[in-house]
Amino acid sequence: MSAALSRVALGTAVTAILLYLIFPVIVVLAISFSSGNFLNFPPPGLSLRWYRAIAGDPEWVSAFLVTLKVGSLAALLASILGVPAAFALVRHVIPAKALLSALILCALVTPPIVTAISTYLFFVPLGLNNSLVGLACAHAVSGMPFVVINTGASLRSADRNLERAAIIHGAPPLWAIVRITLPIIAPGIIIGAILAFVHSAHELLIAIFVLGGVGKPVAVKIWSGVQATSDPTIAAASAILIGLAILTLASVTAAQWLARRRSR
Amino acid sequence: MTALAEYAAVPARRPLLARRHVTPALLLLPCLAWIAFFFLVPLGLMCWRSFAASGYSLHDYAALFTSPLYAKVMLTTLKAASLATALALLLAYPVAYVLTMSSGLRRGLILVFVFIPYWVDIIVRSFSWLIMLGDHGLVNKALINLGIVRAPLELLYNTFSVLIAMVQILLPLTIVILFGAMLRIDRTLVAAAKIHGASGWQAFRTVFFPLSLPGVYGAGLLVFVLSLGFYVTPALLGSPRQTMIAQTIMVEASDLLDWGQASAAGFVLLVITTTIAAIYNRYFSLDRLWGGSEP
Repeated sequence: MSAALSRVALGTAVTAILLYLIFPVIVVLAISFSSGNFLNFPPPGLSLRWYRAIAGDPEWVSAFLVTLKVGSLAALLASILGVPAAFALVRHVIPAKALLSALILCALVTPPIVTAISTYLFFVPLGLNNSLVGLACAHAVSGMPFVVINTGASLRSADRNLERAAIIHGAPPLWAIVRITLPIIAPGIIIGAILAFVHSAHELLIAIFVLGGVGKPVAVKIWSGVQATSDPTIAAASAILIGLAILTLASVTAAQWLARRRSR
Repeated sequence: MTALAEYAAVPARRPLLARRHVTPALLLLPCLAWIAFFFLVPLGLMCWRSFAASGYSLHDYAALFTSPLYAKVMLTTLKAASLATALALLLAYPVAYVLTMSSGLRRGLILVFVFIPYWVDIIVRSFSWLIMLGDHGLVNKALINLGIVRAPLELLYNTFSVLIAMVQILLPLTIVILFGAMLRIDRTLVAAAKIHGASGWQAFRTVFFPLSLPGVYGAGLLVFVLSLGFYVTPALLGSPRQTMIAQTIMVEASDLLDWGQASAAGFVLLVITTTIAAIYNRYFSLDRLWGGSEP
């Protein structure tokens, strides 16, 4: 009896916590479809007017383009740099491996404001402030851990004998990695790259310092909007980001499913 | 396999030993060089700047440790970060426990609820609480309609609103870390306790809970480090009189253009977070990600 009671209590608590987690997302989504002029929840009626407002506003369109460019470049850089590092960390005996992995991961636990002001100070003499490439270079640092972790996990679960078989049959070792191993671990690399992209799209503080003036990315535009205005445009912009996030989440799940099916 | 490699290595040990370190070094070099150039050098520059801006003196650090403003800001930051960490652990534990004990569809469904907010921008999630907790927001409307309060409560711009949003932001990560730690607990031990007559609660309290504590400490350290650096949530939902350290650094740098002071405060924050992260790494070594130190 008391066991059943505690099960019910636990179930109720967990349901409440999950609702607390998801509720802010639902509120922003609902308001983005509002037909009213203010940030009211529940909205007075439904419409797509705030989405049309974003699509018709060149500033918002260019903000989304900036985020897309910076995020893609950052994810690409993180993958090019991170995949070889994952190979080294998983497959080789390296002195001071713990220190090296800490170095790769430490960008994730460094307070963003510290990274932001130091990056800005560094970019002033290099002339990289106000440059998309500069921001992507900085974002690549914090995107790399996602690529290294996910590639490393795929690499550890991949069957190395397939690569050995190719080498025994005469393939040069590097060619065997490119043709055999890389396709096997591709889903892991893709997940890492997507996570690096999302990280870049959400990053605010480095972006404020490096691209705060002209050519703002979406995160900076939303941030200045959140502080100034009170109409549902920001909710719609946020909802587009949420939509992108859920879309990427779905593609990640599909990639994982593909990986599982391939490894069978 | 290792035996085979050793056998192959015997005839030409010297050159092979040398080559063994060349390949991983070449593989790691681009990544480490990038981190050094775009992350470590800037941090070093910030550190240099914190001394150089005041003519190579400790002036900016002295100001940091003597001004009542910084003492207050540090206190606010530590208070908010510890409370947020404690609450996040408290709420994450039951969810991670249910995740560990369930399987299949239910586990998948809970994970979806956990991951969707994780993929939503921190600005957006904080902003959502701004809408919900306002005078005409959902929470106050519900309280008034239910007859619990007559006038709207002041829910915004105080410690409460900052914490409710911070915990919501930190929860997904906390749940995932605790879940990972709980999965590694050998559950036959719990079964053994039950066979020997322990009730479900006794088995949990004396076996499962103590075994889960290392995971709780690890998650706590990591979440605490992250909450020390929060900027968006306190800037949007907090009281302007009770700012956290990241907000103060932001104001120093972008409004007052006092880069010396901002760099000094940033460096102190960096030392604090790196120390805690190093403790975390010491006890919950990060290289477990690559299968530990063994090849």
